[in-house]
Amino acid sequence: MNQLSSADTEAPPADQQAEAPRDERREALISLFSAEIGDAVVGTHIRAGDDLWIRITREAWLETARFAQQRLRMDFFDFLSGIDWRPSPYGRDMDSQEDIVVHGTEPKEPPAMATGYAGGDTRFQVFARVFSTASHEGVTLKADLPDDDLSIDSWVPVYAGANWHERECHEMYGFTFNGHPYPVNLYLPGDFEGFPLRKDFPLLARRVKPWPGIVDVEPMPGSDDDEGAEGGDS
Amino acid sequence: MAAPTVPESKQLQYISQQAADSRVNVEFETEDGMTLNIGPQHPATHGTLRIITRLDGEQVISCEPVPGYMHRGYEKLTEVRTYPQVTTLINRIDWLGSFANEVPFILAAEKLMEIEAPPRARYIRTILFELSRMANIVLFLGDLGAQLGGVTAVFYAFRDREFVLNQIEAVTGGRFHPNFDRIGGLKDDLPKGWIAETKKCMTRVHDFCDELEDLLIGNEIFQARTRGIGVIPANVGLSYGLSGANIRGSGVDWDIRRDHCPPGLVYDKADWKVCTHPDGDSFSRSWVRLQEVRESAKIVDQLLDSVPSGPVMAKVPRIIKVPEGEAYVATENPLGQMGYYVISKGDLVPFRVKIRSASFNNVSIVPWVTRGVFVPDVITILASLYFILGDIDR
Amino acid sequence: MGLVEKGKIPKRLNDLLALSRKYSIWCYQWGLACCAIEMGAAFVSPRYDIMRLGVIPFPASPRQADLVIISGTVTDKMAPAVRRLYEQMPDPKYVISMGSCANCGGPYWDSYSVTKGVDQLIPVDVYVPGCPPRPEALLEGIVLLQERIQSEDPVERFRGEPIVVG
Ligand code: SF4
Repeated sequence: MNQLSSADTEAPPADQQAEAPRDERREALISLFSAEIGDAVVGTHIRAGDDLWIRITREAWLETARFAQQRLRMDFFDFLSGIDWRPSPYGRDMDSQEDIVVHGTEPKEPPAMATGYAGGDTRFQVFARVFSTASHEGVTLKADLPDDDLSIDSWVPVYAGANWHERECHEMYGFTFNGHPYPVNLYLPGDFEGFPLRKDFPLLARRVKPWPGIVDVEPMPGSDDDEGAEGGDS
Repeated sequence: MAAPTVPESKQLQYISQQAADSRVNVEFETEDGMTLNIGPQHPATHGTLRIITRLDGEQVISCEPVPGYMHRGYEKLTEVRTYPQVTTLINRIDWLGSFANEVPFILAAEKLMEIEAPPRARYIRTILFELSRMANIVLFLGDLGAQLGGVTAVFYAFRDREFVLNQIEAVTGGRFHPNFDRIGGLKDDLPKGWIAETKKCMTRVHDFCDELEDLLIGNEIFQARTRGIGVIPANVGLSYGLSGANIRGSGVDWDIRRDHCPPGLVYDKADWKVCTHPDGDSFSRSWVRLQEVRESAKIVDQLLDSVPSGPVMAKVPRIIKVPEGEAYVATENPLGQMGYYVISKGDLVPFRVKIRSASFNNVSIVPWVTRGVFVPDVITILASLYFILGDIDR
Repeated sequence: MGLVEKGKIPKRLNDLLALSRKYSIWCYQWGLACCAIEMGAAFVSPRYDIMRLGVIPFPASPRQADLVIISGTVTDKMAPAVRRLYEQMPDPKYVISMGSCANCGGPYWDSYSVTKGVDQLIPVDVYVPGCPPRPEALLEGIVLLQERIQSEDPVERFRGEPIVVG
C-alpha cells in the first residue's frame, strides 16, 4: 500500500514552509494522533509519500506508544534512541596537531543549536519509530527532554523490544527510563566514564594519533628498520 | 520456583563485574539453581556473545545475553567520518553480507540529496545485494548444522560460499568488505563475462540448497531437535522488533523487498515469492532461510537477464555535502530489517546516524524465549535466531 | 626438558625438535569479528585447507594449544579475556595477530571502546595485515611462524622471553 512509486508523490520532499504535494493518508494519521492525545502533539512533519514525524510531550510518551500499538496497529517496534542536538564543541580541536596543520584550522565557536524535523526546544530528544506490518506505514515519534531532568517513561510495558534499546540509550546519553526493569549498562564495561554519544564526549584517540593516510608517516619497508617488535635483540 | 535470595539483577551484575575483572568462566550455585556462564567466545565464531544462564537441573530459569564484547562505537565514529568514509565503516557491521550494509545508508543519503542512481546501477545493486544475502545465509545453514552436531554442513557451506564470494570479488575487488556502493551509483561496471559466470554460480547455489535440504533440514535428528523448540508467536515477535526470516517463520507475511521496497532497488522487476511458515519454532526459521536462498538465486537469475545498459553513476558533486534533513531507510537485509536514520546538517559528515541493526532486536528476545527450555535447546534457539555479533554490538 | 632449560641442547637435536614442533602446531582459534570468518575459511574450507601446513585446528581448550590466532577487533571489554586466555596456554606459545583491528585498531583507530592493537596485551609473533586478510595471507603468516620456530633459540623461548629473528 505504501507504494512510493505513484507518480504524483515522487515530487521533491516538502520543506516545512512551502508544502507542495499533499499526503492525505499521513495527514489522517496525524489527526488520529491529535484526536487521541490532544495537546500533547507539539509538532509534526510530513515528507509526502514517504515518512511522518510527530513530536509529542514527554508526559504523553508512554500513552502514545500504547495508542499506536493497540489502536493504530503499529505492531512492529523498530528502534528507540536519543539525539543530542548541540553541535560538537570541538570541531577539529580534538584532532592531532598534524591533522590540523593539513586541514587548516576551522572557526572555533560552534554554530547555534538547531533541531530537525518536527522541531524541538531542548538539547536532548528521545526518538523512536514504530511501524505497522499491516498497512506498511511507520511513524517516527520524538520527545524533548529538559536538561535538568533527563528522564522519560519506559516503553517496555508496551513494546518489549524497547528494553535493550533503552539500556543502550541510557548508557550512551545518560537518560533515565522510569520503570525500566533492568537499567544497567548494555555495551560498555561497568567502569566506563562519560556518555559516548553526547556531542561533548571527545574521541581522545584522534588527539594522540594523526588520521592514518592523510600524512604519510610510515617509512617504506626496508628504508628504515626502527619499528622493531617488543624489545628484543636481533 | 522459590524466590531468589539475591535479586536477579544484582546477581547478574555481580557476575558480569567478576568476569570482566578477572575471570571469564563463572559457574556457581545458589539455593535456587546454578549459574552457568557461556562465552564470551561463541563456539561457532559468530563473534563473542556472552550468555549467563541460571539453571535448575537441566532447565533454564533465566538466560541473559551480555553483549558489548564487540562494541566498536559505530554511531560515534560516523560523526567524524565523511559520507564516503562511512560506507567503509558500516561494511563491517554484518560481516557476512557486507554489501547489504552499505545499501540502506547510501539510499538514505541519496534520498536527502535527491539523487537517483541510473537504472543499470540499480540492477547491479540489487544483484549484489542478493549475492551477499546468499553468502550470508549459506554460512548460516552450515553453522546451524555445526551447532546441532552435524559438522558436515559447515564444509559444504564454506565450499559453496566461495563461489558466491568469487563473483562478488570479481566485481568489487573484495571478498568480504566490498565498499562498492557510492552515492549516486556504483564505483564500477561489471567485468566482462561476469553475467555468464554468475549464472553458473546460481545453479550451484540451487544445488547447494537441494543438498542441504536433504542433508540437514530433512534430517530426522535435526527435526527432532528443532521442531517445537523456541516458539515465538507473531505478536510477541513484532513487539520485540523481530524482522526478516525470524518473523516470517512466525507466519507474518511481510517482506520489505516486496511490500515497500525503497527506490533504488529493483525487486519489483523479478518474479519471486515471500516464504512464510506458520509454526514459529526453530525449524520454521531455518526452513524459511533456506527457501530464501533459493528465492534470491531466482531473483539474481532473472535480473541478470535484464540488466539494462547505460552508465552506473549519476552526476554527483566531487565533494559530497548532504543537504540538511532527516531520512530513515530500511532494507530487508540477510539478518532482517536494517535501517539507517541519517540526520544531516548540510555538512561533510553526518550529524547523527542511528543504526537500526536486525540482530540487536532479534537477540533481545532471547530471555523471553528461553525461559523453561533445556540447556541444549538454548543452543538450538540461538542458532536458529541467527545473529552476527557485529550486528548486535555495532 | 631439563636440557632445554639449562641451555645444553645439542644443535642437531635442537633442529629435530624445531622441525617436529613446527609441523605440529595446535592452533586455538580466537575469532572475534569479521576476520574470524576468513580464518574459518582458511581452516575448514577445502580450498585453503590449513592442515596441509601441519596446523592442527580445534584443540579442546587453550590449555592444549601452542598457537593462538587473535582475529578481529579486541575491545576494552574483551581485553581481560584475551589476557587470561594467553596466560592459560602452556609455554612455548605463539600468537598471530590477524587483521588490522588486532594489529592496531584498524578502522576503529579512534573509537572509544576498541583496544588499539592486541600487542598492548600480549606479545605477538606474526602480524597479518589486511581488512580482512585473505585466507592465503593467513597461510603465509603460518609459514612465517614456522620459519621462526625453525630458527629460534628454544632456550630463550622456554624462558618465555620474546625473540626477534634476525
Ligand atoms: S581487520 Fe577488518 S575484517 Fe578484520 S575484524 Fe577488523 S574490521 Fe573486521
